[in-house]
Amino acid sequence: MEKVKDALDFTDFSGVERFVLVVFSIFLLAFPWLGAGSFVKAVMIQFLLFSLFGMGWNTIGGYGGQVELGKAQYVGIGAYTVSVSMVWWNIPFWISMPIGVLIALGYSFMIGYPLFRLKGHYFAIATICTSLVLQDIFTNWKLVGAAKGIELPIHEHPDFLYMQFKSDTYYYYFIMVLFYIALFYMNWFRKSKLGYQLRMIKDDEEAAESLGIDIRWCKIKAYSIASAFVAVGGGFMAVYNLYIDPVSVMDLDLSIKIALMAMLGGAASLWGPIIGAAFLVPLDRFLGSWLGGHKGLIGVDFMIYAALIMVVSAYQPRGIWGIVEQLRGKGK
Amino acid sequence: MAFLEVHDIVKDFGGLVANSNVSFQIEEGEIVGLIGPNGAGKTTLFNCIVGYYSPDYGKVMFKGNDITGFKPFQTNQAGIGRTFQIMKVTTGMTVVENIMVGAFCRTNSRHQAREEAHEMLHFLGMEEISEQYINELPIAKQRKVGMARALATKPQLLMLDEVASGLNHTETDEMVALLKRLNVEKKITLFLIEHIMEMVMTVSQRVIVLDGGIKIAEGVPGDIVKDDNVIKAYLGEKYAKGR
Amino acid sequence: METLIDALLQGILMGLLFALVALGLNVIFGVMDIVNFAHGEFLMLGMYTAFFTSLLMGVDPLFALPASALMGVLLGLASYYWFIKYLLRGPAIAQLFGTFGLMLFLRYLAQFLFGIDYRILQKGILIGKSFSVGPFIFDATKIAAGALSLVAFAAVYSFLNKTKTGKALQATALNKEAASYMGIKTDKMNAIAWAIGGGTVGVAGGLLINFYYVYPTVGLLFVMIAFACVALGGFGSIKGVFFAGLLVGILEMMFPVFGQLVGSDFLGPHFKFTVVYLAYFIIVVFRPQGLFGWKK
Repeated sequence: MEKVKDALDFTDFSGVERFVLVVFSIFLLAFPWLGAGSFVKAVMIQFLLFSLFGMGWNTIGGYGGQVELGKAQYVGIGAYTVSVSMVWWNIPFWISMPIGVLIALGYSFMIGYPLFRLKGHYFAIATICTSLVLQDIFTNWKLVGAAKGIELPIHEHPDFLYMQFKSDTYYYYFIMVLFYIALFYMNWFRKSKLGYQLRMIKDDEEAAESLGIDIRWCKIKAYSIASAFVAVGGGFMAVYNLYIDPVSVMDLDLSIKIALMAMLGGAASLWGPIIGAAFLVPLDRFLGSWLGGHKGLIGVDFMIYAALIMVVSAYQPRGIWGIVEQLRGKGK
Repeated sequence: MAFLEVHDIVKDFGGLVANSNVSFQIEEGEIVGLIGPNGAGKTTLFNCIVGYYSPDYGKVMFKGNDITGFKPFQTNQAGIGRTFQIMKVTTGMTVVENIMVGAFCRTNSRHQAREEAHEMLHFLGMEEISEQYINELPIAKQRKVGMARALATKPQLLMLDEVASGLNHTETDEMVALLKRLNVEKKITLFLIEHIMEMVMTVSQRVIVLDGGIKIAEGVPGDIVKDDNVIKAYLGEKYAKGR
Repeated sequence: METLIDALLQGILMGLLFALVALGLNVIFGVMDIVNFAHGEFLMLGMYTAFFTSLLMGVDPLFALPASALMGVLLGLASYYWFIKYLLRGPAIAQLFGTFGLMLFLRYLAQFLFGIDYRILQKGILIGKSFSVGPFIFDATKIAAGALSLVAFAAVYSFLNKTKTGKALQATALNKEAASYMGIKTDKMNAIAWAIGGGTVGVAGGLLINFYYVYPTVGLLFVMIAFACVALGGFGSIKGVFFAGLLVGILEMMFPVFGQLVGSDFLGPHFKFTVVYLAYFIIVVFRPQGLFGWKK
């Protein structure tokens, strides 16, 4: 009970921040009734989904300071578990999604144990490797559709158990609920024991060890939490898109996007991943659809994207939120 | 059975012997100083005890338990705190948050951790800097933050690495007073490394002297300053003979 | 048996090229302790340079090599002076993301400029030619690539060990501060490392285009291979990376052959690069100093 109270406690934020949060929440609630077209709705769903991914990444990548570039493998685990269990055994989403999360947790402990012997560059590259290995396996695994992927059977009538709806509005509200669960969890997490310990590890590993912190175990825990978040999002992707393949749910680009949004918005802050997603998802979508219409402009959206990353990492590694804090004269 | 027992510690780094058969004991409630010239193997010995290195030979016993080969976080959990000579100047966490991390060693509750951190700040008279970052503080305050967060883990034995280096006279005096208070009020056993003799002599009840990785003397400060071996180690052969 | 020996020989040829690709990555890593994720994109741009020089100017691809090398050097220098320099002020995490951004930027720049088509050279002195030694058939292009890679590698190796600048570079790699006290300018050394890194990988690209498709995302595969080589050889070790390149080349060629012999689906040719990734993972976890590594 106390944990719930802590999760809902935003009192250490400034009045402006809390006001913006309230206004933003009202907007999110009212959004489907504002008469936006299906394209804009889809963009909003993507935004909420990537905020969820980013908040998950923020545990290990932001608070823990570990450059984790392999989150897509857990999106894949979540998405494939849901799809495969629905296609093969007709298992409802509400059962298969938790199973997917459990598998992601188990797998992340298995991978995390050797992975966190590594630091810095070695670690970053290794996370990419593990994700690529899993993607290779799924691309060649005929039982799960190999490179062709899996199509989910479409039910004739909307079915809550299988999360199949005619209207995007239902998906919107579902991902919004997940978004808030994630937000409240992260609000709890950032002030939790593990949250503090991770920040200490990021600052000064030697000192952290001297304060009774089992560094490797802390990192593994955070990595697994991040993986669970991301697997939930993967499960959502499966029922929302009704089609998954190794490229759409396991590609390196996805891993990078996840890390990037959190990083660009401001790693190790509660708002960072949300700001990053709010900035990059529409940019990605609108640029993509606008430029896609002009033949020969393929890739320009990603160039703008990449240029942003370059500028941010060279001038303000703490991201957009870092700039905001700087302007407000907080932090340095 | 003594509080801390160090038996025959040997540590060599690829042929370079840093500690050779060092043994000593510390009783509960004592303040013990470890001195020696630069390169005497003090920090290595320290690190062998707290677990940053595992000794090649020998045994470390704490409160009757064998803690040889423990990892640093395990020795801390067992009740040994330590400070660093050089605090890493970080910008990620405020002073009070730093101390809270220490307090989290013994509690899972964030509220209790925060309360304990504030109590610690009060005890050390540092409330006014609680919301500052370490990089904004002068070196004496940084040291104190390092001590505060180690103390927040509630150690029974606190090991201090050159806690007075870089401090001016007043600051050193304050530090000595603080150490005595810790010893009396909080009943913490203190074990300090120094290579400046003066401070150790005023605060320690007993002093151990290392030179070239070997324990060359042990005793009360008054005897140590008169010890031939110690004078030789610090001032050279000539001075000892000419005395 | 013959197929195995054939795979071994082919693997050595590829391995020499891999070693050249990984060399540049390791020089930059050694000198600056920065991992250049954009390394594969340098290779890709080197390939495009040779491709278009050859196609538009009617030069044989082998003679387009200097253009690729120049392109690589310029890319390296431009990246360093215009971008990497500024990254150095930030934390390590920003450096990783920064070179990642550079990688994406160059990749999509290429996609914008050249489209997503797979391109391969049709004409050239060596292209399409092969000769046989006993039962083994070699593509002339691969022989040339292997041999020239070896020459380029040897040239860089002797540059590092014989010249004053090369020794200064090694001193910087060993201890930046000490080197700067001796009057070695770190900034200049960094730039040279990037020039060497870009130049060697540009040459590798020019060689690779003789027998391999070029497309905007071709870099990722090679940069991962280079990472594996660097991990195997030991981060910062030049000798190590040479043998590691050979080993990875052989592994990559032999693996599908093993698969065929055993008749297993999971050892098929699709997985030849999976093995490379796994190799990286296992090596850094269990032997972080690399198989041949001494440093670190």
